[in-house]
Amino acid sequence: MNKNYFAGIDVGSTAIKVALVDEDGKMAGEHVTPSGSLFHKNSLAALADLLAQTGVQRERVRYLIATGYGRKLFKEADDSISEITANAMGAFETGKAYGGVRTIINIGGQDSKAIQIDDTGSVVHFVMNDKCAAGTGRFLDVAARNLELDLEELGEYHFKGTCAPLKINSTCTVFAESEIIGLLANGHGKSEIIAGIHYSIAVRTARLARRVGLEKHVYFDGGPALNKGLVAALQEELGCQIIVPEFPQTTTAFGAAILARNEFLAEVEDAH
Amino acid sequence: MHTKAHTVIPIQPVPYSRSRQAGESQTVLDQITKDFDDNPQAMQYFYDLFQKVYCQGEAVPHEGMLVGTTCIQAPEELIYAFGATPMRLCNGSYHYDQRGGDFMPAKSCSLVKATLGMLSAEHVIPNIGKPDLIVNPTTCDQKKKSSAMIEGLGYAVFDLEFPNVKESEASRVYWQRAVREFAQRLRTLTGKKLTRKNLRAAIAKIARAQVAFRKLHHFRQLSPSIILGKDAFLVTNAYFFDNIDSWTAAVEKLNEELAQREQDGIRAVQKKAPRVLFTGSPPIFPNLKLPLLIEESGGVVVADETCSSNRMLYDMTAVDEWWLNDMVDSLADKYLKPCTCPIFTKNDDRKRRLLELVNQFQADGVVYQAFAGCQVYEMEVKSVADAFNQAGIPMLYIETDYSPDDKGQMSTRIEAFLESLKAKKKRQA
Repeated sequence: MNKNYFAGIDVGSTAIKVALVDEDGKMAGEHVTPSGSLFHKNSLAALADLLAQTGVQRERVRYLIATGYGRKLFKEADDSISEITANAMGAFETGKAYGGVRTIINIGGQDSKAIQIDDTGSVVHFVMNDKCAAGTGRFLDVAARNLELDLEELGEYHFKGTCAPLKINSTCTVFAESEIIGLLANGHGKSEIIAGIHYSIAVRTARLARRVGLEKHVYFDGGPALNKGLVAALQEELGCQIIVPEFPQTTTAFGAAILARNEFLAEVEDAH
Repeated sequence: MHTKAHTVIPIQPVPYSRSRQAGESQTVLDQITKDFDDNPQAMQYFYDLFQKVYCQGEAVPHEGMLVGTTCIQAPEELIYAFGATPMRLCNGSYHYDQRGGDFMPAKSCSLVKATLGMLSAEHVIPNIGKPDLIVNPTTCDQKKKSSAMIEGLGYAVFDLEFPNVKESEASRVYWQRAVREFAQRLRTLTGKKLTRKNLRAAIAKIARAQVAFRKLHHFRQLSPSIILGKDAFLVTNAYFFDNIDSWTAAVEKLNEELAQREQDGIRAVQKKAPRVLFTGSPPIFPNLKLPLLIEESGGVVVADETCSSNRMLYDMTAVDEWWLNDMVDSLADKYLKPCTCPIFTKNDDRKRRLLELVNQFQADGVVYQAFAGCQVYEMEVKSVADAFNQAGIPMLYIETDYSPDDKGQMSTRIEAFLESLKAKKKRQA
């Protein structure tokens, strides 16, 4: 078996995501692991784990592109690219199965962004939240900790409430934490608070998305897209359907792998 | 009972070269000089200048009385005509920005905070000594309100009244009167008279500098460009405090070398490097954060529309009759009519100028920097973005300040923007 593979590694602030594609651009494997404090060491381990899982030899990985916040630290890569370009490509390819994607909403560990792409998967325009963790994955982390819940439970709780969602007014993660504590102290139920948190994130994110312009279809990725409550709140705020892929965390790594494949094939073509 | 004697530990004086201010400057200067290959040799004049002035704190000499300016709307020709030396005080240091934050609102812009922070500091860098007068044009609100604060720091301040509406004749007349009042104040300050000969010589002095600057444009219009934006910004930044004649000579020398490089086919960047027009809040050393990020990520800043560079030096005085009154009026016109500062009510001129620069310099995209708290640049983003959108030119808007803590996020945005410009170029090819 001498098949060629291509890898994308997305070294994010919270998690490291690795994706492997074959020569046809089909996903051959993906893996997610926490970033921890040793970005470089954990990135190497994440790649090794994925290779072990898929049984692909390292030398069969012909091109590797690093992306994400820590992309420059991963010197073993053939090239690096910003997570915005990689995310666009990943969503574009994944979105084909859903009838095409033009607007991408991504919520990551420490920032959120909205990207508009054209019919080739190239970035036309993008906006990001400004240097602050408001409305990002970190915000959900903090809230879950305050409410003594696992991150995965937030989605279920969203739908459990019998009252209207509470308003979380603070846009700052740190201040929101004290606001949540205040609401708990006033005897409010967890589900109303959680729904409130989701709407507060959804409002901010929808504003970003409207800034780049909403075009069909809207694609939502990043770890927080696993949270069904947040997805529901965001759909309501945007007033349109959104596509959440099967593996929302690895869209960007997948995009980097696709770009690695394209780059490799272009180089081979150039050589002929 | 044994009591231990209290000892007071004396404060060790830190030499300037080891201060935080010097450290910040050295880091950026090293980035400018060492992170890029094959810098033009004539740039050494400017590298040395910044090394001496910003990193070692050497005194900056001047002739006659010293008049500090807080904005490019102050007519420098008048200051030279009275035998005094103008010195632009607008500051780019994060260290001074934090210092200014001690007594200014947290939400005010980094530039104003840093300028006042510097004026409040023991070591004023550039080390120009104490200005005999500071002229403060009443342009944006933050500069306007700085006036009393600067006075409070023990400086003599002249408020140069500047209008908010550019198109009206009333504004023009008002501004011409304000410029005359400034001349009066300079006369009282220096005890000298404004003469036709001196003013004409002063206009010519600045015009020579402007001609040298305009020639530099030629090498940036070429594709690929022969000089990087980080060097061009350093050149115009030196104009703030350098002796104007030495500055002009150094720029001419640089132009000669670049002309030779053009002949020899030496280029500053790769052929496909995305060409960027830089606009908005002005980059001032050591805050060259965004231009450096753009060029370290493989782009090139080919032109700018900022008051620390192009807007400061591009427009020349157009005199009809070389009589004193005509000269003063022409001078006033030069500082009002072509000005594209966002403090004016309308910004049609700025939009027109930006589109003109995109065409002249074949820019692929625009980076618009607004310092957080700089209301006028923040407010104008929408209309400028709409104008570029209509013209099909991509624009990246970045709100930032002097702190280096957002460099990671900024580099992601800039890289993504440059990648999208490259992809667009590829599609069009």
